[in-house]
Amino acid sequence: MASSTATPSPPARARGAAVSALRSVATLWRVLRANPLTLVGFVLVVLIGLGALVMVVAPHLLTSYDPRQLTGDYSTAPSWRHPLGTDTAGYDIAAETLYALPLDLAIAFAIAGGAMLGGGALGLVAGYWDRPGSVGGALSVVILRITDIFLAFPSLILALAIAVSLGRGVWQLIVAILVTWWPYYTRLVRGETLAVKHLPYVTAARAAGVTEGRIVLRHVLRNVLEPVVVYFTLDIGTVLVTLSTIGFVGLGPGYPQTAEWGAMISFYQIGGLITAYPWTVFGPGMAIFVTVLAFSLLGDGLRDVLDPRSRRVLAGTGTAGATTAAPPAPQAPPPAEGVGPEPGAPHPAPGGIG
Amino acid sequence: MTGPVVSIEGLSIDYVVGAGRFRAVSDVSLTIEQGQVVGIVGETGCGKSTLAQAIPRLLPEPPATIGGGSIEFQGVDLVQVPKWKMPLIRGTGISMIFQEPLNSLNPAFRIYDQIAEAVRIRRARESGDRVADDRAPPPFDYARGPAPEAGDALLRPLVPAGAAAAVHRRRIGRDERLHADVLEYLRLVRINDPETILGLYPHELSGGMRQRVMIAMALSERPALLIADEPTSALDVTIQAQVLTLMKELIEEVRTSILFISHDLGVIAETADVLGVMYAGKLVEFGPVGEVFEHPRHPYTKALLRAAPTRYKADGPLTSIAGSVPNLARPPTGCRFHPRCPLAQPVCSAEPAPPLRAAAGRADHRSACHFADDVGRIP
Repeated sequence: MASSTATPSPPARARGAAVSALRSVATLWRVLRANPLTLVGFVLVVLIGLGALVMVVAPHLLTSYDPRQLTGDYSTAPSWRHPLGTDTAGYDIAAETLYALPLDLAIAFAIAGGAMLGGGALGLVAGYWDRPGSVGGALSVVILRITDIFLAFPSLILALAIAVSLGRGVWQLIVAILVTWWPYYTRLVRGETLAVKHLPYVTAARAAGVTEGRIVLRHVLRNVLEPVVVYFTLDIGTVLVTLSTIGFVGLGPGYPQTAEWGAMISFYQIGGLITAYPWTVFGPGMAIFVTVLAFSLLGDGLRDVLDPRSRRVLAGTGTAGATTAAPPAPQAPPPAEGVGPEPGAPHPAPGGIG
Repeated sequence: MTGPVVSIEGLSIDYVVGAGRFRAVSDVSLTIEQGQVVGIVGETGCGKSTLAQAIPRLLPEPPATIGGGSIEFQGVDLVQVPKWKMPLIRGTGISMIFQEPLNSLNPAFRIYDQIAEAVRIRRARESGDRVADDRAPPPFDYARGPAPEAGDALLRPLVPAGAAAAVHRRRIGRDERLHADVLEYLRLVRINDPETILGLYPHELSGGMRQRVMIAMALSERPALLIADEPTSALDVTIQAQVLTLMKELIEEVRTSILFISHDLGVIAETADVLGVMYAGKLVEFGPVGEVFEHPRHPYTKALLRAAPTRYKADGPLTSIAGSVPNLARPPTGCRFHPRCPLAQPVCSAEPAPPLRAAAGRADHRSACHFADDVGRIP
């Protein structure tokens, strides 16, 4: 038994890594297959991600037009040449919608990611060091009151006001929304931290001599992470809607120089195109709808996948038959039971405990 | 060896709740010698767990505050140590086993990671004050328990050899020496097939197994003092027996100093060398286990002993102690036990109980009762 700790040879290790990777994919597939809606969300997110990547690296694989190219076809209905039609200026709407994809995604991730990191860090601090009368407690109060102030404003109005004062542009848009977006993460992380920090395993870690900083960054953060990642995924959709709204009212990156879905819809609508040529809004509108839907579905499913307690159930590898000679999968061993019977010990081990 | 591991002098702990303040532990003095197992018993709410958690300063302060006294550990008064320095004492100095094995392991980490963290902490500290040398014998050599023999085919490792075993090892980390160390401690607590356990999450283990992992974690830091705060109360009876058997065997092997908190006299009788009895925040009796059991010198100890069910008096109703533990916000005047005491005299309610006094001829058996000599006459 003791010899099994010997270092495996490098080829065995490489093979082990490959097998391990395959197993993870297999587990993921089982989880997704058991949850069709999550599967839809996952596939859509993967497609959207791949599409964005292709549009950055080799856009001509997906569309043969440049978004700023005047095709000479004015206000044509969807056809093989122009899958989503053209607008009054002669731009190909499919090309514009696709070119806007990486930009919209990048902005949404930048805003949600920045809010998660910044707001989350503040929430962790405010939640963990919240004892009244201490330095941390004072800091916590300051953080929470500032959070309250930001939450007291309607976030869209505040973002619009900031966007107006900063002017048009990608970075201005990111800053404008980010400023209004972080307090939700602060609230969420603080609440989770407050719940986690009083659990016995935090005290147990403290009793084992783990320092406070490490308890926060390892023990607390890891257990707070799960709802935050789920919220983040769902949030991508919300951010996308918000940034499209700001683009719609004309405060996003300037259209038509830079294509952005919200600005596109606004442009077609204000020009009266929506009544004469209803297909013009279909492209960017569907793009927003599908992207938001994809991240919402994935976020819901992610909650189950991230929790180690529900993962196995979802994957369908039940723990029944734990004592049979052949376990269902070596990678997912059943609850190991059994107690080492000492020779002559008064309590011979039963098959399992608990 | 040289002096006690811990010596507590006049320790008082207050809880401040709103405008109220009550004393959960008042004026407790006790010492734990090198290699000694000290048991503390008492009813629920008498301050046992508060005392246990106060020693490594794990109580949340506030609401708890140390009202006075000292906790001398290895020449340092822990009451005076600033809180941010306490992590250096916890773990390798004073380690703890808690009563909730179900929640005391972090659900997000595999068993390997949890024990490895404790081993890493000890290694880091050991390398601090002496040259790191793997061949040097460890200060306590109790991790060398023999590996359990798997006589039964059902108890053989569930993880097969070959590529799958390599996968398994990958999942649980690369540091082979750390890995070996962690395995050694899992074997020490008699876990069969530790290789499999390493890769599991806490929720995949039963309560008894989790408590074994907790014990392995605590021992892997080779603490000078181990505090076991009712390690078996949350387990069901058969598992309690197994964990207790394990604790008893480990006490023999480890010879570390242990403070064993329990409300179960039977558990204490089997494990402890010295017994302390607490009532309403006060230590009312302290002495060698056999001596206290044979000749209790406090009416409360006597009542506790009478209330313990034994198989010799299986018939008839169970004995209980009349009344209940007093509200510590408004403790009774005088001796705190007098409202429930069969020996109570006017002096008991008028004057506070005397400090711990030794019995005639037995300097190590002390109790805090005006009428300690009369306790033997209670039927």
